[in-house]
Amino acid sequence: MTTVDWGLLLPVLAPVLGAVIVLVVDIAMPRVVLGHYVVAGISLVLAAAATVLTLRPPVGDTRASLCLPGTGEQARTCFYAVTGVGAGLQLAALLAAAVTLLLAAPLEPKDEHDRTPVTVSLLLAATAGAVGVVGARDLGSWLVTLELATLPVIALAALPGTRRALAGAVQLLTTSLVSFAVLALAAACWYAATGTPRLTADAVLGVSGTPQKGLLALAVVLVLAGIGFKLSLVPFHAWTPTTYAGAPLPIAVFLAGVSKIAALGALLVVVTALSSLGKAALVTTAVVAVASMTLGNLVALRQDDVVRLLAWSTVAQAGWVVVPLVSVSALGVRASASYLLTYVVSTLAAFSVVAVVVRGSGGRSGYRLTAYDGLVRRHPLLGGVLALALTTLAGLPPGIVGVVAKVVALRPVIAEGWWVIAVVAALNAVLGVAVYLRWFRVLLARPDASQAPAAVPAVPLHRVAVVVTGGVLVALSVQPQLLLGLLG
Amino acid sequence: MVLTLLLLVPALTGVVLLAVARTDRAERRGSTHAVALAGSAVTLVLTVVAAVARPGVDLRWVPTLGVRWHLAVDGISVPLLLLTAALTVVVVVHSRGREPARDVPGERSAATFYACILLVETGALATFLARDAIVFFVAFEVVLVPMWVLIGRFGDQHAAEQARADAAGRFVLFTVLGSTLMLLGILLVVTRTGTSDLVALATARGAGLDHATQVAAAVLLVGGLGIKIPLWPAHSWLPPAHTVAPTAGSVLLAAVLLKMGTYGIVRVVIPVVPDGFTAVSPYLALVGAVATVWGGLACLVERDLKRLVAYSSVAHMGFVALGLASGTWTGLQAALFGNIAHGVVSALLFLVVGGLKERWGSADLQVARAALRDVSPRLGWSLVVGFAAALGLPGLIGFWGELLALYAAWQPAGDRPVGVFRAAVVVALLGLGLAAAYALRVLRLVWVGGSGERWVTPPQVGPARDARGREWAVVALLVAATVAGGVLPRPLMAATADDARTTVGEAGVAGVGGGGR
Repeated sequence: MTTVDWGLLLPVLAPVLGAVIVLVVDIAMPRVVLGHYVVAGISLVLAAAATVLTLRPPVGDTRASLCLPGTGEQARTCFYAVTGVGAGLQLAALLAAAVTLLLAAPLEPKDEHDRTPVTVSLLLAATAGAVGVVGARDLGSWLVTLELATLPVIALAALPGTRRALAGAVQLLTTSLVSFAVLALAAACWYAATGTPRLTADAVLGVSGTPQKGLLALAVVLVLAGIGFKLSLVPFHAWTPTTYAGAPLPIAVFLAGVSKIAALGALLVVVTALSSLGKAALVTTAVVAVASMTLGNLVALRQDDVVRLLAWSTVAQAGWVVVPLVSVSALGVRASASYLLTYVVSTLAAFSVVAVVVRGSGGRSGYRLTAYDGLVRRHPLLGGVLALALTTLAGLPPGIVGVVAKVVALRPVIAEGWWVIAVVAALNAVLGVAVYLRWFRVLLARPDASQAPAAVPAVPLHRVAVVVTGGVLVALSVQPQLLLGLLG
Repeated sequence: MVLTLLLLVPALTGVVLLAVARTDRAERRGSTHAVALAGSAVTLVLTVVAAVARPGVDLRWVPTLGVRWHLAVDGISVPLLLLTAALTVVVVVHSRGREPARDVPGERSAATFYACILLVETGALATFLARDAIVFFVAFEVVLVPMWVLIGRFGDQHAAEQARADAAGRFVLFTVLGSTLMLLGILLVVTRTGTSDLVALATARGAGLDHATQVAAAVLLVGGLGIKIPLWPAHSWLPPAHTVAPTAGSVLLAAVLLKMGTYGIVRVVIPVVPDGFTAVSPYLALVGAVATVWGGLACLVERDLKRLVAYSSVAHMGFVALGLASGTWTGLQAALFGNIAHGVVSALLFLVVGGLKERWGSADLQVARAALRDVSPRLGWSLVVGFAAALGLPGLIGFWGELLALYAAWQPAGDRPVGVFRAAVVVALLGLGLAAAYALRVLRLVWVGGSGERWVTPPQVGPARDARGREWAVVALLVAATVAGGVLPRPLMAATADDARTTVGEAGVAGVGGGGR
């Protein structure tokens, strides 16, 4: 008889349920717009509350659900398990989805082409996938939830139907298909090597010292490649700028936030199962990380479109996210997750400000760097939050949480003695500062009096997103432990 | 608690200035300035209290990383804390009436200007107080953004926008490179010893770290801090930054920010990885000696007076590096004294030179001008005192640090190669000669007037007024400090003596040069 801990599964089930309810409500009462957001909000809050319960002490304990009864001395087999780090990632994914939802909500009078229910339900479905993959402990649900986190986003990216949107969506689709193929191959190799579909440490235990070791190493490298697509790691990054720039802004936010959490969550499921990655995978990780940082920063230096700049900064930051994984240990896993969360919070803050500015300037001019001339003076709140987000991404005070994240990310690298990587990372820290200060400088510039921009008529919900993300950044900068402690 | 308050006061004053005290009326009627002045004065009072009472604070900050909010005061940090707090007051007083001009009506930049000054102060004080290596690193970074704004946005309005952005960017990027390298060194020490507490690390004196680790950590730390100091050949960010920065920024940069680098070596390198530092020190000594000559040579040909003072800073920090490298108690005392001396002298020089630049419209030495002694004797005399101190004239504050540094390096600690150090001393003596040469060159040009052969048609400038009121008060104060430090070096030497002895440890005190004072 299987034992099911429904409370543990609630973070996954609530968004799914929410998505279904949204669709049903749309059939029953097609004129309600606000209702969809309320339903989505409730389901996300419910799910987040459930993860907070998982985070209760003792933190660090793994809680499991969907367990087969154990016979005798054989350990129980569980198909869903959440570690401390996993619960932290789940909570972050749900909150990031909530911010995305705030940014996606113009709440305009409904016309015939209103796609609110579709957007909301797809967002919820993708969020459920992102939350689920963190806990998946068998190949089947791991692959399915990971794709559930991706596929709805492709539809969302294509939804506006413009040429730019379609170009971005097609690129994302192609990339996702390749990524899925690679991951399926990885799953096959894993199954062949270990003889079990379970993604747990004891599944790997029997392999060491056997000829299947090579096959398992291949599986790990393939997982890295497949996840690399989703995390925008070089050389699998090419889709990022096109899709970010083509998709509606909230979808770019989703890709930069929830999707990245899903991808890292999936990667960490595999990494925690292994006691060692093997030389090949370690070197691959290191090279890919360094290449991502360098290329991302170098190209970001030359961007004049803020969304493209943020896209290339995603590539660079993805390198920082995986660089701690050269140490296959709890230290490395936690460092990687901490860095990711810092990146997600600051990117969400930056995107929220961009959303307000884009809406205020009307049309595409809000995407240009020049639209931010003197923002700190024109609008201290927006300018202040953006400045804080940029310094966090750059790893400079006053974004102290960004500085701490840099420390956290470099610690495992030093502990394992990867000197070349550490020095290249240090150089990239400098490049990153150059990237973000270039934007920061625009914020401080004297606004051109001749083209004084009109007052920014922001959607109130967008402002809420700015205030919330900005507030979180301030709180984390005063007390970085709030973020690091979340991950156990 | 006093220490946390000591950091909170300038930080919150800065935030208040940024967020609240920025109405147009406040700036016109001077209440912005009053807020800044009050904030810096209260900080100075708290610093004096902290210097006397020597309180400490040790709280959990980031338990996951084992980082503690550990602040303390000792003899080594007291002079630097007082210097920082006092100079901030000086700078705020001096800036009244010199706030950046508004080009747009209603633009409120004075509040931002003062906020940046106070935030720089916060970062510097935090650096000198931190007793946790990671907190030290974070504090080290705090000064970057406000200083970047001071240089880039409030810099010399005669310079092109692009030039200001370049100078400010170069400052930030060089410093970030330095501090990230330092972070790698800190992390190496922290991961190998399992603690980031500088007191514990200093007590352990490198126990538990093998020789190779110590050398690697020392190379990273000295290399990283060397960019900040700045040591030749990583000094190239300093002259442009000084040329462009407003007077207040130049004073803080030279007198406070550069000290963070040398202080870092005293706090994070010498006691933490003593063997590693011993291995690195001959190179540090040579680099310091080269810096004295390099800075001196650059000063001989430099046309811009502000750049010239900046290059002279490079030379002076070379002497400080030489003292540090010697590994003896005398050398460390010399370095700490030289640090403060340079802080006072460079603040004086930048205030005077900044004042001259305001009056002249540029600081080009090849433009012939009326002799300073005729036009503005107060500024002229102050400049004479400043450059006399810079060339190390006995009786002024610059003398002791340089003389003792040379003396200590001539007889370095027992575990250091004497030959290399004596060679470095010989080179540095050459640098001392060059200092005399460039000081006299400047004084001749400025004090006597332009030189006959190279006259350029002077631009029409109004009659230069002499320093009065606030400006004369702060300049006179610094002149007095320069003379007092030269005549009575004992109090400052005594303040650092005990803690310097524990920092260098057995080897330095018992070594050849250890007994002398």
